[in-house]
Amino acid sequence: MKKPASRSLIALSTSALALPGIAEADAPPLTSSLSYKISNYQEDDLSREQVPFGELERYDIDVHQFQFISPLGRDYALFIDANHENMSGASPWFSTAGSNGQPVINMSGASGIYDSRSEVSLGVRYYGARGNIGGAIGYSEENDYRAKYVSMSGSRNFNNDLTTLTVSLSHSDDSIFPSDAERFNRVRHENKQASSVAVSLSQVLNPVASFQTALSLTGQSGYLSDPYKLQDSRPDGKTQIAFSNSLRYFFIKADGALQSDYRYYRDDFGIRSHTLDLSWFQNVTRSFKIVPMLRYYSQSAADFYTNIDDFLKPLSESQSSDYRLSAFGAVSGGLSFVTDFGGWSATLTAERYVANEKYSAFTVAQPSPGLVQFTRLSLGVNYAF
Amino acid sequence: MLALLAACSQVQPWERGYLAKQEMAWDSDPLERALNDHIFFSKEASSGGNTAAGGGCGCN
Repeated sequence: MKKPASRSLIALSTSALALPGIAEADAPPLTSSLSYKISNYQEDDLSREQVPFGELERYDIDVHQFQFISPLGRDYALFIDANHENMSGASPWFSTAGSNGQPVINMSGASGIYDSRSEVSLGVRYYGARGNIGGAIGYSEENDYRAKYVSMSGSRNFNNDLTTLTVSLSHSDDSIFPSDAERFNRVRHENKQASSVAVSLSQVLNPVASFQTALSLTGQSGYLSDPYKLQDSRPDGKTQIAFSNSLRYFFIKADGALQSDYRYYRDDFGIRSHTLDLSWFQNVTRSFKIVPMLRYYSQSAADFYTNIDDFLKPLSESQSSDYRLSAFGAVSGGLSFVTDFGGWSATLTAERYVANEKYSAFTVAQPSPGLVQFTRLSLGVNYAF
Repeated sequence: MLALLAACSQVQPWERGYLAKQEMAWDSDPLERALNDHIFFSKEASSGGNTAAGGGCGCN
């Protein structure tokens, strides 16, 4: 009679397969899973001081995300992702000097913007004895924008599976065809491309800690300006570099884990930035966690950023009053509640984000009046079967 | 580099229980990460990180 496998051996094998880096590098998922998340993203209205005339309301976006993951035979896995967003509101159109000489914003469209975005991606991954390799294709469509992209990545384990080297590549080919192009003398049809390569190295440090370092390089070319801004002219090429470091540490006595991620970024628009993400996963019971999160972000301004548009400047010279190219800092905090029951899990998240030039770690020569504050609420469910 | 990493303490398979927990994964909630990446890509000038980028969007 065949002896049943010991429960401790099964638990040990399951733990080893579920290791970060190992689960991803060596074995397809053991079960299929279906996930859905609904989110509402709401930006704060601007004040009449910032916008003397017209719309004050900014974006309100509902986001639906779906993900299906399934093992395919012994060595493969299938990944299907789909997203749909509905958005309404308005965004900054151009910037002028107010009566006191300070910049004020003029918002797009008296009746606001209504748009939707749908995205689907399909991926397959092969898991071998010492690593994995896989790829995905994706398609995203809006009323005025279309993106087609492809990505590939491979991981290889070394050093008794304590070290993982991952290389990933991606390419995106995007088309831009702005709404009301004739009416507002916007570009009719433009294209842009983006290609990325990223290399990461993960290392298990001890039984409760692991570390990852990564470098990514992205090249963009084509039409990189914002067609909806009245005076926006940016270079037609950009190179971006991001250097990231992540730590995971489990505190046994507290029965909680710290996730810490830091990224340094720079590009040849002249922007440099620091991003620090901290999350604490507190296990309250075996099936309930509370996760507070804190994020700090700061960037310098692009070389050609101006907070008051110069309409006498020719479009051949780079210029933009886009608040996202200004120097600012942003602090965000959030709280998640995570519960598991049987094959189900549910996550409820609330997040608040506040950008302000006063939070900047870089010199702010020209503060933007259009910085964003937003609140986000999400509810996600996952079913494993 | 790999030789240097090999010199790190050798964690045996039976010592990896804490490392196997969901909260110790590099990406413990893929949908949450994808949503955050999309929001910050739309509202800040920086992008890129541990993996190669996906498709763009007309997010203004």
